[in-house]
Amino acid sequence: MRHWHKNLDFPTLLVWIALCSCGLIAIYSATHGDAQEYLLNTVQRNFQRQVTWLLICTSALLVIMLVPIRLFIRFTPWIYLASLALLILALVFGRELNGARSWIYFGPFGFQSSELAKVGTLLMAAFMLSSRKGSAGSTALPVVGVLVLPAILIVLQNDLGTALVFVGLIPILWLWAGIRLRVIGLLIIFPIAGYLTILGWTVALGFTAVVGIIAWFTTRSPTWVALGILASVITLGVASFALNTVFKPHQVARIESFLNPEADEYRAGVGFHLVQSKAALGSGGWFGEGHMKGSQTQGRYIPEQSTDFVFSVIGEEWGFVGSILVLLLFAILMLRLVRLAREIEHPFGSIVAAGAAGIFLIHISVNIGMVLGLLPVIGIPLPFLSYGGSALLTNTTLMGLALAAYMRRSEFALYI
Amino acid sequence: MHLGLSLLIHFSYSPPREQFGRSQRVIVLGWQPVPLEPLYYNLSDRKYYTIPLTDYRYWLFTSAIGGVLVILSLQLFRLQIAEQQDLSSIARGNALRDIRIIPARGSIYDRNGIPMVNNRPTYTITLTPRNFDRAQIPLLADHLGVEDSVVVLRLEEAQAWNPYRPSPSFSNVSFGRYARILEDAYRLKGVGWEVGQQRHYSTDARASHVLGYTGEITKTELSSGSFVSADTAIYRQGDILGRTGIERGYEPWLRGVPGVARRWINVHGLEVMKYAQGQSDQPPRQVYDIHLALDHRVQELAESLFVNKRGAAIALDPKTGGIIALVSKPDYPLELFSGDLSPQVWQDLSNHPDTPLYNRASMNLMPPGSTWKPFMALLALSEGLLGERGEEATIYCGGYHPIGRGRFFRCLGSHGHQTTLEAIKNSCNTFFFELAARMDLSVFKRYANHFGFGVKTPTDLEEQTAGLIPDSAYFNKTRSYWSKSDVMNLGIGQGIMGVTPLQLARYTAALANGGTLHAPRMVSYLVNTQTGEKIDPPGLPAPTSLGIDTAYVNLVRRGMRLVMEEGTGRASQIPDIPSAGKTGTAQAPGNLRDHSVFIMFAPFDDPQIALAVQCENTGDGSRCAAPIGSLMAEQYIKGEIPTSWRTDVRMERALTATSQPLSSENQ
Repeated sequence: MRHWHKNLDFPTLLVWIALCSCGLIAIYSATHGDAQEYLLNTVQRNFQRQVTWLLICTSALLVIMLVPIRLFIRFTPWIYLASLALLILALVFGRELNGARSWIYFGPFGFQSSELAKVGTLLMAAFMLSSRKGSAGSTALPVVGVLVLPAILIVLQNDLGTALVFVGLIPILWLWAGIRLRVIGLLIIFPIAGYLTILGWTVALGFTAVVGIIAWFTTRSPTWVALGILASVITLGVASFALNTVFKPHQVARIESFLNPEADEYRAGVGFHLVQSKAALGSGGWFGEGHMKGSQTQGRYIPEQSTDFVFSVIGEEWGFVGSILVLLLFAILMLRLVRLAREIEHPFGSIVAAGAAGIFLIHISVNIGMVLGLLPVIGIPLPFLSYGGSALLTNTTLMGLALAAYMRRSEFALYI
Repeated sequence: MHLGLSLLIHFSYSPPREQFGRSQRVIVLGWQPVPLEPLYYNLSDRKYYTIPLTDYRYWLFTSAIGGVLVILSLQLFRLQIAEQQDLSSIARGNALRDIRIIPARGSIYDRNGIPMVNNRPTYTITLTPRNFDRAQIPLLADHLGVEDSVVVLRLEEAQAWNPYRPSPSFSNVSFGRYARILEDAYRLKGVGWEVGQQRHYSTDARASHVLGYTGEITKTELSSGSFVSADTAIYRQGDILGRTGIERGYEPWLRGVPGVARRWINVHGLEVMKYAQGQSDQPPRQVYDIHLALDHRVQELAESLFVNKRGAAIALDPKTGGIIALVSKPDYPLELFSGDLSPQVWQDLSNHPDTPLYNRASMNLMPPGSTWKPFMALLALSEGLLGERGEEATIYCGGYHPIGRGRFFRCLGSHGHQTTLEAIKNSCNTFFFELAARMDLSVFKRYANHFGFGVKTPTDLEEQTAGLIPDSAYFNKTRSYWSKSDVMNLGIGQGIMGVTPLQLARYTAALANGGTLHAPRMVSYLVNTQTGEKIDPPGLPAPTSLGIDTAYVNLVRRGMRLVMEEGTGRASQIPDIPSAGKTGTAQAPGNLRDHSVFIMFAPFDDPQIALAVQCENTGDGSRCAAPIGSLMAEQYIKGEIPTSWRTDVRMERALTATSQPLSSENQ
């Protein structure tokens, strides 16, 4: 057996470097064009600050990989409690930025408590799932509690997008922790049915039928068929009711505008950004307009270009080829992490690695789905590409934990 | 290794308590020991198991990742490849703007290439509130020479308009202040400048009515569209447009066709970069500089001689019809219009009783007086009114025409038997009364129209009046009773008729060149500022012939030469240069003094200049108009006015003559 540090997974590390570089190039283009002077002063320095953050992240990565996994296991509950404490602190004393009260400042240095909480929460969930006694199901609900608690605090901070990441992690962790697939299947009916209800209630109704059929053929159990159909129908009802009566018109517009952003009622408001984002991607074509040459990027037609909408910069300036390349890098990163998770012998490390891949998957699908006009505008960053120090540090830490666990994948006995 | 995690029970092993405890002591660095139980302890067989990770869970996760990325790739393909055309046209609609490049307005030169009108830069200081540092308000105020509060006020106005765009806050800043701001530009962030263009008049000649002024286009003109030119798209709000004179008449040539710069603009409407590296940009084109026939020194002289007078003078080149000078007094400085014209000044100009805005040279109607006599002579000779002896025939002048028996149709003296030549030289009224009595009114009108009177003159001057030549239909319409005496008055250029100085000058030029009527033109040629291509002023007809026997024309010319040498023009001769002319006195309505009229051409043998002068209410023709005309001709021919006693005489006469002021009791 090779020494542990010789088991560093270089493909993951290379993909990480590639993604961070793509991010830096896109951020540079979004903040250093001819119209730089019309950006906010804080946004103008995003590139330089991202470089600084990347240096911090590199050191953090080294430290994480040097620390034995068992130390993380030992401190997991404390890390989790500290995360919750930070969330509450931010809620009480924090500073509000872009509508979310999740920022904690130490002098000029600020970080987003909701981002860092992802690490602690994933560790805690992995800790619970890997140290359970009894059947797998016995830890399923406590883990939901572990994930939902910070999510509630983050909702209170008025950052629904980030909270969704925590909730979205539930089926992924359940899958990896061995919870019965039919339970997981039942769980993911809710978001899918909700999304389809936004598209149209007929679509959701059709989906309900499909759910019933699949449930029958997979379980052969009338109870599960009934549960599946019930979940779908309840979601359809609740979502329709919410859209029609509970939500205020501007909230409905925010949810529905992605379906037809060109419509007159959206075009001037929430739809504007999506129209611009799509237009930017479309003007990219096969090979893009070239670095620093995208008309929509350089003209600042798309909001949050260095952060949430960074993929539109890539789409416009690097074209379809460049965008697919970035998607491929993401694919390699996530598939590699899942692969590592599979090969890590210890359940804690394995779940952490799979959870990291899961967090990336949620971020990537929601963020790019939003930029491509497939999903409502939900403000969460694209891992390693969007500007944002806290997010970069969090994502790098998650990846570092997976790498650290993989390096020591065979040190199974030592955990005990 | 794969096997290890593929199904189950990779490691079934029950750790001894002691070992567990020891390892805890060895490894744990934390404060409180946490029991580590990584395994699934199966109660039934009392063994530890790893989490039952199965291959299909791995593949499920993997395919979920793959599925999401495939969906995203498909949508990416749809947006970037399938819908590329539609979406990129939206992008272009957002971000492409065609920005007009207004070329510098063409310059205007005199006949010797001296610039009369060109452009002078104007400096406007702009504020961009978004970038402006308020700490620099005192510095900027100091440079601009205004109070701090003024800067604050302008900054607030700019903020209210658009914080991102430069707002033109201080216009017409002097070059000195502009230069100082430029030096401190590194400290004055958010302070910009625009260099604009303003009409600049570089000679002492005002030539207000020739050159004309410019002004901003009005909304009504923009919406009517018909006013400006065929291509209305080249005008937008705020554009400058020629209002009068050359500026208006040659507007399309002076303005040219604006260029187009296609630019990517940002969300704030500011230029970001060139479209396609500027390949589709079009530079402005078709701007022409205008070269006038005007001699600015003759113009200057004539303007200065008209001190204290109302009137007009116009001098033509008899060979081409080019306008050497065109004076209409009173006039106004064009500089008034090159900046922002104050409404008060405009009111004063347009309501002034002496009507400075009115171009007397092409619009003032007055009877020609005795300057009409050469015309009458040509008419009579051509029509055979003098009988078989023609120019040898005489008419007796006893000091009056017999029809009026000395009461109405008087002559200046008793001239005795007068030939045509003598009648012109002596300006014998009786002779021309008799000719008028012999002629038919319709023939008179036909000849007058043929000589350019009573009809519009083909010219590139913007405004003119046709004048009035009556015929019997006119008299029938306007009078209940009219008789031969009305017609006889026309014979000496008095009564119910009106001609403009422009028409008189054109007629004089035709006499000078032996019978060719040119279209009077201000512009000799236009030069394309880019290509250097020379073009003639468009739309002017070819010269026409008077169709009068040259012998008759020469006879009249000789008569006019005698006027200058022995007659009423004697005192207004040009030293050493033989000239021909005719003075006239036009009766003014009411109790006002007569108008002074004069026509002249010189040198006699090879005329270079033909001119007509009208001085309003100054007395007879030899008193005011003749010396002015003579000095203009001398200036043009010699290029200077040498000192001599003849100069003194003419100068004194010209400068001391004054127009009787217009007031309500005189009229």
